[in-house]
Amino acid sequence: MAQDVIVHIQRKDSPDGATYRQTFHVPYEDGMNITTVLQRISAQPVTDEGEHTAPVAYDACCLEEVCGACTMVINGHVRQACSALVDNLLKEQPEITLEPMTKFPVVRDLLVDRSRLFNALKRSKAWVSVDGYWDRGSGPLMAPRDQEEAYPLSRCMSCGCCLEACPQYNDKEDFIGPHAVSQIVLYNTVPAGQSIAPERLDVLAGPGGIAACGNAQNCVKVCPKEIPLTTSIAKAGRAATGHAIRRWFRR
Amino acid sequence: MAGTITSAESAKEKYFFLLRRLHSLSGLVPVGVFLLWHLIVNATVLAGGDKFQFMVDQIHQLQKAGLLFVVEMAFIFLPLAFHAVYGVVIALSADMNAREYRYGPNIRYTLQRWTGIIAFAFIMFHVWQMHWLGEPFGGSMFKPHDAPASTAAAIQASWWFITFYIVGVTASVYHLSNGIWTALITWGITIGQRAQRISGYFCTAFGVALLLVGMGALWGFTTYHAPAQPDQETAHTAAFVADPQHDSH
Ligand code: SF4
Ligand code: SF4
Ligand code: FES
Repeated sequence: MAQDVIVHIQRKDSPDGATYRQTFHVPYEDGMNITTVLQRISAQPVTDEGEHTAPVAYDACCLEEVCGACTMVINGHVRQACSALVDNLLKEQPEITLEPMTKFPVVRDLLVDRSRLFNALKRSKAWVSVDGYWDRGSGPLMAPRDQEEAYPLSRCMSCGCCLEACPQYNDKEDFIGPHAVSQIVLYNTVPAGQSIAPERLDVLAGPGGIAACGNAQNCVKVCPKEIPLTTSIAKAGRAATGHAIRRWFRR
Repeated sequence: MAGTITSAESAKEKYFFLLRRLHSLSGLVPVGVFLLWHLIVNATVLAGGDKFQFMVDQIHQLQKAGLLFVVEMAFIFLPLAFHAVYGVVIALSADMNAREYRYGPNIRYTLQRWTGIIAFAFIMFHVWQMHWLGEPFGGSMFKPHDAPASTAAAIQASWWFITFYIVGVTASVYHLSNGIWTALITWGITIGQRAQRISGYFCTAFGVALLLVGMGALWGFTTYHAPAQPDQETAHTAAFVADPQHDSH
């Protein structure tokens, strides 16, 4: 198959610039993915009308679907560019469309600013807190059963797919998002993280916390790491309710 | 989360979790329980007008005790008004995307919001019609002492009313059944995917059964003919129902 791959790309020159579309013809290569396509366009940024244009801006890092940087909307569906194979995309529709995620501000072209995603993780204290540099030895042991539940949650790569697909994640609500809910569940399960569990539950039971979820369950469907987000959401719902009641009685 | 409330915005923030949880709870108890019971009571008309009148009389015992208004307000009207109004706030906070992400749960999520709006509009109409609309607008009004005939007259008054009742009851039943499914997740009862799938089967069965009850009640009232009775007011309503223009047959 020597035919060109036809790619329609939504572009924007600056954060407050106008949005426009350009079409590129890229020579087909065996096993190529969308990051390859974008690299080829960068090497020769000429549109189908023969116009020499600026290379398309995009993000990428690991090239193996573990960093989340290259997340974008491909053929109308959010996913990673580096693991989106052209062969499979052409089975979905004859010409490929690339758009930036809609839930984050566009920096340029396909590059978005995911600060809100990371700020939610900060708000949720999705870490093990340490207050010094000395050797603490090995952490507390975990029961295998807990470990089996916690490990899948640790695979989150902060890509933002779940947020892009979530109807409740938007400018109208300050929702922390399913990724943060799941990280709270993870760090409240891991013994080393439990010392600040109540602070994380405050976030879950607070504004923009778990109650903003409307159970549309898109998050779990689109998560490329197959994280059981809806299970985390249900656990978080129960934990937050219990926490809110206990908090109220302790006043 | 402590601190003084300085504006409506921060009050909304402060009580965000509480309001959402109360919204979920109020949809189940008392609103959901009321819908279930209301449709079952109405469906008793299928067993005859006397049976339905008996149920209404039982309920209106409360009136003799002077409690009906209080019970209606505290357990039906206020929770329902809160659930409906705050439900619109929740629905407006969504960026629905069932067109882009056509997954079953997402379609149900979208339907949950639309059926909520439809049920809200329908229930406002229903309460208005049964309490105040009365005859002047070509409708009728619920009369507790003449329950089957007055209800039948109200529903049979127009082809449009029957349609609206079918749509409204269907939307309400869907909203309740799907609401039970989501509430089980919200309250952390069904946690795993398997549990959520199985609860889905139960909620579907519940919804189908309740829809049959609701449609049965509607069928009962659209086909109801009051037996001729000496009582003045009943005779009047019965004549109204028997009027060929208003007869659905
Ligand atoms: S289940 Fe909740 S978090 Fe996940 S997509 Fe739906 S609304 Fe968003
Ligand atoms: S939970 Fe899944 S979809 Fe969401 S950010 Fe993490 S890896 Fe991405
Ligand atoms: S480049 Fe890291 S996920 Fe694609």
